[in-house]
Amino acid sequence: MSYKPQYTPGETKIAQNRRNHMDPDFEMKKIRSINDEDIVSVLGHRNPGESYKSVHPPLDEMDFEEDMMKELVEPIPGAKEGGRTRYIQFADSMYNAPAHPYDRARTYMSRFRGVDTGTLSGRQVIEIRELDLEKISKELLETEFFDPAKTGLRGATVHGHSLRLDENGLMFDALQRYVYNEETGMVSYVKDQVGRPLDTPVEVGEPLDEEHLKEITTIYRSDNVGMREDKEAIEAVLTIHKARTDGGFGLGVFKNDLKAKLGDDK
Amino acid sequence: MEPIKAIDVRIFPHRRLKPGTTEKLLNELLDLEGVLKFLVNGESLPKVVGYGPARGTRVNHPDRKIITVKGKEVELLVSVGDIIVTIRHENLEEFVEKTKAILEETLNFGFDVRVGIFTRTKTTVSDKLKVAYGIEEDFDPNLIGLVDPKTNSKETVKLIGD
Repeated sequence: MSYKPQYTPGETKIAQNRRNHMDPDFEMKKIRSINDEDIVSVLGHRNPGESYKSVHPPLDEMDFEEDMMKELVEPIPGAKEGGRTRYIQFADSMYNAPAHPYDRARTYMSRFRGVDTGTLSGRQVIEIRELDLEKISKELLETEFFDPAKTGLRGATVHGHSLRLDENGLMFDALQRYVYNEETGMVSYVKDQVGRPLDTPVEVGEPLDEEHLKEITTIYRSDNVGMREDKEAIEAVLTIHKARTDGGFGLGVFKNDLKAKLGDDK
Repeated sequence: MEPIKAIDVRIFPHRRLKPGTTEKLLNELLDLEGVLKFLVNGESLPKVVGYGPARGTRVNHPDRKIITVKGKEVELLVSVGDIIVTIRHENLEEFVEKTKAILEETLNFGFDVRVGIFTRTKTTVSDKLKVAYGIEEDFDPNLIGLVDPKTNSKETVKLIGD
């Protein structure tokens, strides 16, 4: 690459955290460890120990049309095997969750290869071959991308990111996939991401401290760091907004063109 | 029926309340003078999963519990977000003062107490339709503003006390 990507504008810690997320060379701090099998069971796409389902007949035995692109682009391991495409979806609370949907989208795009991601107001889905999905999920769940209380692993019925937290500081979940143990202070998943009960609960560790979350969050909030405090970010947003508005309406840009179309140019 | 002067007090805790806390709060608030009715509001909790691959499985939400208010069993259908209390106007000042004291003692997080009109005071078309279409017989005018027009008030309203 001939230039150094800047990722996102801003001079506050929020902007720095966003850049850290997006920078593939920045190593996110690992704060917990979860078994591979536990991750598989929480994802709910296959049973732990079961082999990956793939196309039949295998890709090697299939006939394909000649395609230049196939020779140019090296496939990711899951695609090489002809595996299925599966997903993991997160909901992030507005109460200083470490990541948020747009940040996740940009992060996924710059950190991982071969992903398809979808951004919605309250949730963010990542779709990739099953084999690679589990590796990515492990990274997303074990590092500071994830907080057991403010981030939810939710495939369906995601509602809750904008609601008040409960008394233990957990985000609302209508299906209650994860529970807080008041004695040990640990959060564990008792259901998989779509709400099917698990045989054994999966422990995902303690909720992060609220003060610590304020340091690592990527969400601008007036009770932490407001966006208006970030001059550089505001300037960038305003510039884009102005350019989009002018361009969208064609102010001054398409005036003559439009006039010609309306027969007004004479 | 003789009209009375009534006003609403809205209790808005900064966290969603657990069933235990709700039970304690409701019992203490019911002891105060001039209380007419309570409206416990919040995000509704499903009994079974409504859609997705897990459709039909039971949710078993720990917040959807049966609580005991003054000896009567009340099933919480929501994760409690706010409580609106309708009280007699003459008891307003004393009620607000005592409510704040109770909340400060029970809750270890912030809350807002606001006075105003937060429930409906007039019969609407939906309320009239409810009677006209026989969705409910003998619809009690006291329940106006408490019950969602689409639900049956027998399931959502509990009569406690005299």
